[in-house]
Amino acid sequence: MENEGRRKFLGVCVAGCTVAAAAAAGYPVLRYLAPRSGQGGAAKLVIPAGELKEGDAKFFEFAGSSAVLIKTSSGQLVALSAVCTHLGCIVQWVKEKQQFLCPCHGGQFSTDGTVLGGPPPRPLAKIPFTVTEGNITIG
Amino acid sequence: MLNRLYRWLDLRYGIGEIAEKELTGYLLPRNINEWYSLGSVLLVIFAIQVATGMLLMIYYVPDADKAFKSVSFIMNEVPFGWFIRLCHAVGSNMMVAVLLLHMLSTLMMGSYKAPRELNWVTGFTLFALVQGISLTGYLAPWSQLSFWATTVATNSVSAIPVLGPTLVEFLRGGKLVGPATLGRFFALHAAVLPVVIAALIGAHLFFLKRTGVSAPPFGRDETANPFEAREYHYQGHPGGIPFFPNYALQDLSSISIYFAVFLAVVFFWPNMPFTPDAFVPADPFKTPAHIKPEWYFLANYQTLKIFPSELLGLSVQAAAMTFLALLPFIDRSPERHPLKRPLFLTLVIAGILLWIALSVWGHLS
Repeated sequence: MENEGRRKFLGVCVAGCTVAAAAAAGYPVLRYLAPRSGQGGAAKLVIPAGELKEGDAKFFEFAGSSAVLIKTSSGQLVALSAVCTHLGCIVQWVKEKQQFLCPCHGGQFSTDGTVLGGPPPRPLAKIPFTVTEGNITIG
Repeated sequence: MLNRLYRWLDLRYGIGEIAEKELTGYLLPRNINEWYSLGSVLLVIFAIQVATGMLLMIYYVPDADKAFKSVSFIMNEVPFGWFIRLCHAVGSNMMVAVLLLHMLSTLMMGSYKAPRELNWVTGFTLFALVQGISLTGYLAPWSQLSFWATTVATNSVSAIPVLGPTLVEFLRGGKLVGPATLGRFFALHAAVLPVVIAALIGAHLFFLKRTGVSAPPFGRDETANPFEAREYHYQGHPGGIPFFPNYALQDLSSISIYFAVFLAVVFFWPNMPFTPDAFVPADPFKTPAHIKPEWYFLANYQTLKIFPSELLGLSVQAAAMTFLALLPFIDRSPERHPLKRPLFLTLVIAGILLWIALSVWGHLS
């Protein structure tokens, strides 16, 4: 009985040491592999309003992801995430139709991000922006 | 939970039978000693080198313009990057050191003798390959130390008559060490040599499995080699101690001692693998003073220097290496106890002293 107890105690000690060693080795490796913070691009971005003509779109990197700013033919500004909500491809701007088309599986979005057709389950996410003195500040 | 998983696997694959044959029923000589665990330590070191090497490849850029910067980035910017790189750099030195001890113990106990000739030959080849993988990895950081140590090391090949200069150019991928050399050395270091080493480790273990473990010549009256070249015979050890748990515990102790030494160097002597030239980016137009190779190449380096011709120095080393590689075929006496082999023991001690003396001389010169 006493031997059983000792055996169990040693087993727990060995298991504990193994877990501690794995954690000691695993933590540096996890930190080493973790994506570095602050590498996802600026959280605020300024685009001169003059850069964009009516009916055009401007793609840019924003907060580590792809985004798009469009000026509709009616002159309205819209900032959207350019990541298709279906499987994450980057949508393309079709100027003639004034809508977005995802080349991967044919998802279509309107200028305000609403799904017009195809498999995407959700509209494109809207990105807040402000216009001051001819500059568009995204974010 | 663990019992159920074990039972599930055992019912399907009979793992209990394998465990019985390879672990608890795998009997080792009763007088087995600590030195026999160095092979396991080496397997652990190789695994660590592979793992840390893979991790380094995430941030390292094998391009002459970017290599030094990427290594500095790993050391200074990436969390624990310094730790991963130091483990890799210190580990390579440790691997050579432990390999030397492993070979020394095999030599002293006469374990290289028949029927284990190929165990020795594969082991010796592994030693040469480990030196090769260390040398090719040395260039990777593209520092002054890497650049000029590689220049000197590859240059010694030019002493080979007729083919020498062409061989050096082939090795470097150009007349001088340059970006082409880095591409070649990196491919050798990270792709070719690890695969060849892993394959040879497989062969080494296969031979060990087929011949059985040799019994140490110590602590018994009969110390002659029991092998008779009549038919295949596995050397078992009836009545011996089981590998698991008995010797597995010894392996674990040796691995723990290794880790203590290894981590002590990593944490308290982090400059061990480096000289000040290792922190300066490579400059092909500026040779630094006193470029010295790694400690395990110092004896070779000094030998090249003391002979009047480089060819002679190289030939002497080649002869010594060939002699050592083919030792089991040259030394055919059955006796294995070092004290009963006075000539052998004298030669080994003289050889070690000569190697140490040449290394110290090379270091101080």
